[in-house]
Amino acid sequence: MKKVLGNKKAIALFVIPALIIYTIIVALPVVWSFYYSMYSGSPGLKWKFVGLANYGKLFRDKNFIDALVVNLKYIGFTMLGQVGGGLLMALMFRFWVKGGRNAVRTIVFFPTVLPTVAVGQLFQKIYEIQPNYGLLNSFLSNVGLQKWVQPWLGQASTALPCLILMDIWTGIGFHSVILYGALLDIPEDIIEAGRIDGCGGWQLFKNILAPLLRPMIISSCVFSFSGTVKMFESALALTNGGPGNATRSLSMYMYSVSFTYNKVGYGSVIAIFIFLMCIAGSFVINRFDVKESYY
Amino acid sequence: MKKKVLAAFMSTVMLAGVLAGCGSSSSSSSSGSTGSAETTAAAETSAAAETAAAETTEAATTEAAADTGSGDFSGEDPQLTKDFHILSIWAEDNDNGVLINQICKDYQKVNPNFTYEYELVSSDDLRQKISTLAASNDLPDMFVYESGKPIVDLIDAGQITDIGALLKETGSSDYVTPAATSLLETLSGTDTIYDLPLGLNVEGFWYNKALFEQAGITKTPDTWDEFEEDLKTLKDAGIQPLSCGAADKWGATRLINAYTVRTMGADAMQKAADGDTNYTDDGYVAAAQKIQDWANAGYFGEGVNTVDMNTAGSMLMTGKAAIFYNGSWFTSNLNDTTANQAGPDGIGFFNVPVVDPSISPADSYSMNCGNILCLSQDKTDEATKWFVKYFVEHIGDVAMEMQGSVKGYTYTTEASDMSGYTQLVLDEIDKAKSAFTWYEATMNSEVSDAAQQNVQTLLSGEMSAQDYMQSIQDAKDMSDM
Repeated sequence: MKKVLGNKKAIALFVIPALIIYTIIVALPVVWSFYYSMYSGSPGLKWKFVGLANYGKLFRDKNFIDALVVNLKYIGFTMLGQVGGGLLMALMFRFWVKGGRNAVRTIVFFPTVLPTVAVGQLFQKIYEIQPNYGLLNSFLSNVGLQKWVQPWLGQASTALPCLILMDIWTGIGFHSVILYGALLDIPEDIIEAGRIDGCGGWQLFKNILAPLLRPMIISSCVFSFSGTVKMFESALALTNGGPGNATRSLSMYMYSVSFTYNKVGYGSVIAIFIFLMCIAGSFVINRFDVKESYY
Repeated sequence: MKKKVLAAFMSTVMLAGVLAGCGSSSSSSSSGSTGSAETTAAAETSAAAETAAAETTEAATTEAAADTGSGDFSGEDPQLTKDFHILSIWAEDNDNGVLINQICKDYQKVNPNFTYEYELVSSDDLRQKISTLAASNDLPDMFVYESGKPIVDLIDAGQITDIGALLKETGSSDYVTPAATSLLETLSGTDTIYDLPLGLNVEGFWYNKALFEQAGITKTPDTWDEFEEDLKTLKDAGIQPLSCGAADKWGATRLINAYTVRTMGADAMQKAADGDTNYTDDGYVAAAQKIQDWANAGYFGEGVNTVDMNTAGSMLMTGKAAIFYNGSWFTSNLNDTTANQAGPDGIGFFNVPVVDPSISPADSYSMNCGNILCLSQDKTDEATKWFVKYFVEHIGDVAMEMQGSVKGYTYTTEASDMSGYTQLVLDEIDKAKSAFTWYEATMNSEVSDAAQQNVQTLLSGEMSAQDYMQSIQDAKDMSDM
């Protein structure tokens, strides 16, 4: 084995095919985006070299700033809900739910496998107000909270929270199953030892479970981050970016700019921004990992 | 040592792999268009050259036509050989596809040397496809396109035939109705037509007669004041006065348009688009304010932004709302007896009420021509002209016989089984003396997007009328940048 790995040709044989494919499908388009970002219009239509003008435009574009804010809010709250909620779920499976554990887990996991568009339709019905009250509004109306009945998806103030709630509902099962798996890996005797030493529930979690779960929580965060930073199909299915720009994400805005407004050049600038945001986000999350692994 | 190098290399690749996961969304924009980009970029330079060439040939052919008189189009069809390529968005057994194919087949009986090829493209891809074909100077003989802003680009590039001149030459100008002609001229901003209509729709308010009766309203409103009075009467009678599909957005902007045109004239939106006025001027803001006031008064019911046009239409037909703004294509829903609970005579129609007849008269309707047909400038020859002559002279009758619909051409026959609603629309179209266009007709996609998206926050009261018009003006400034 050592002989094989010591041979440079052998290494090249293993690495180069993957490297070539990677370069073609990932690195090249990124470079290409950068090249496009210096043109106005779209190829074939008013395609002119404009240098860095598109970049200058970026932060003067109110729509872009709005989309960025929406996207950041969405990432923050959805991640918190999915990972935090998933963790609570997992703890519940481990310590509270005695009978029917599998049934409960299946039910919680079930939304994850539903197609996004179907979930969008489902929640549209739940939040519905016209022509008939949906589940939520008819519930509120029946328990005497008529003044809380709202066009949930029809006003900018509630549309984003409604969307976030839907995506937490979809994603929470996935994260709870991952974290539950990690919880099962923690040996029973450690927990028992903690109990004997007089740990309460919170202390047990803070001093024993959380540190042991850290790698898995970080993975969960990375999954959740990479899922939410894209923010496209669920918003498209539930609200189509509306009302106004209340749920329009960066990728949705990028799509409109590139293909509806025919400004592929400017769209590429937004794409590059999303790319940098991904790198920065992954970097921040991974920082937690590095720091803690020293002790 | 080597092991270390290897480890470093491997970890770089893995790190790259991690980034790749995140990077995929960003690269999609460029990779999606890479294929066409290469071809169009290459074609661009040649297109520029060819446009110049096309302009000179255009001048040359018109001159030649003037010199020789080109030919006499009054006699028998000379049966010229022609392979005619048509690009359409309707399948051969659907909508206008039926008519186009029928005309082609009929024409083959007149001219057996005429063959045609019927190509289909989805309507979503139409603009993309045409701009690619235009860039490579290879437009089909005849193709379906969109009126308004998109066609102007093709006219500017000298890619499509001046159909007005062509019809004059073949002596068949009279077969396209004056209403359709003036509408198409307005939409392209020219004094001749560059396209053939494939529909002629009027828009206005559909109302539920039973609900009007219930609220004690005896006649449809003629003026805007009467209209608002009626809305109030309906509201007071516990009936939802208006249904509006603001989830589809255009349903709401049409209402703003209606008031804008009635108070400022048919060219108000054109002026703002040209920069002669600002979208933030008082008149435009007042129109937006009017719609917001209605929303605040509860005329649209609860959650108007979550209602789409279909739902809004069925609310009218099932008696949940009294008035609904839509175009004459709504008749297909009205003719559907299972959907229309109001019955074959339960729904009526009135035009947008007038504010000041001297600015915008009562016989001026909001109209549109749906999708339109264009001819490639390069491929228009003698045989094309004979075909187009046959086309405009016969499509009016064929459309009336086969579908009972009006396409913007004169017709001499009557459909055998015409419903009351279809007749109603025909009568309204006959009453129209002039036309105005829809809110976004003069806007490019960026401005139109702003107008449509923000109308929802206007209705929900989260954006003031002033801010709404400002957002449209901002989008225009941004797109000009």
